[in-house]
Amino acid sequence: MEQLNTADKIAAYLGGGLVVFGVVVIGLLEMLLGSGHPVDGEGQIVHEALVPLEVRSYIILLGLIVWGVYAVYRVVATTPEPVPAEP
Amino acid sequence: MPEQIDTRLLGREVTFGVSGPWLAYWLVIMRLVVGWWLLHAGLDKFASWPFDASWFIGSAAAGTSIGPFVTLFSDGILLSFTNVMIPLGQTLIGLGLILGALTRLAAFFGAFLMLFFYFINGETGGWSHGLVTGDLLGLLLFAMIATLGAGRVLGVDAYLARTAFVRDHPKLRYLIG
Repeated sequence: MEQLNTADKIAAYLGGGLVVFGVVVIGLLEMLLGSGHPVDGEGQIVHEALVPLEVRSYIILLGLIVWGVYAVYRVVATTPEPVPAEP
Repeated sequence: MPEQIDTRLLGREVTFGVSGPWLAYWLVIMRLVVGWWLLHAGLDKFASWPFDASWFIGSAAAGTSIGPFVTLFSDGILLSFTNVMIPLGQTLIGLGLILGALTRLAAFFGAFLMLFFYFINGETGGWSHGLVTGDLLGLLLFAMIATLGAGRVLGVDAYLARTAFVRDHPKLRYLIG
């Protein structure tokens, strides 16, 4: 059974955790604890954010960078596991 | 019969079945649609040449989180480089995905490009439609295509993976697939 090693886990859990935290968890907190987000006539969401959008975007950016750095690390520092011969 | 996936995630045993034909089908559909998205964007810019990114990576990007880095490319020779590399990169990424050739490399650079579009478009628009935008979803699709190695399904990479050259240089499997 293929399993994630330590570097894989750091990238997967830290990168994914930051993206999910920034998008979903804070988004949910905004819905539950923040002020309303009325949609104006042009379909735009009127923001009065509990967590500043800039801070949220930085959290997401950090997560995406973790994923990107991990991708580069995999290519530079590791070799793919052998795959079963294809027909 | 579904393919059985047995693995561990977050310290737990995870077992689930995946329909092989449907997985293969969706990998190809994703590649074709996302590939056309980028191929069209690239060819459009060539069709109406010259392309000028100076506003987007200059004044538009200036006030954004990634502005300090991006605006370095908004003038002089680096702007000329960017003006060529955006349409060329988009065209090559699109071709790579549609043909399934060097798919992981193409998808990586697709995600890289989307990172800039996500923040510049999102922040200049005040995130007026929320933080989950088409650019972020595009980035995630690129990441998924790269992770799953979608080019091996009806793609050139299936052939490349069997060549002696790739077998002798296993690291290349990180770029194809």
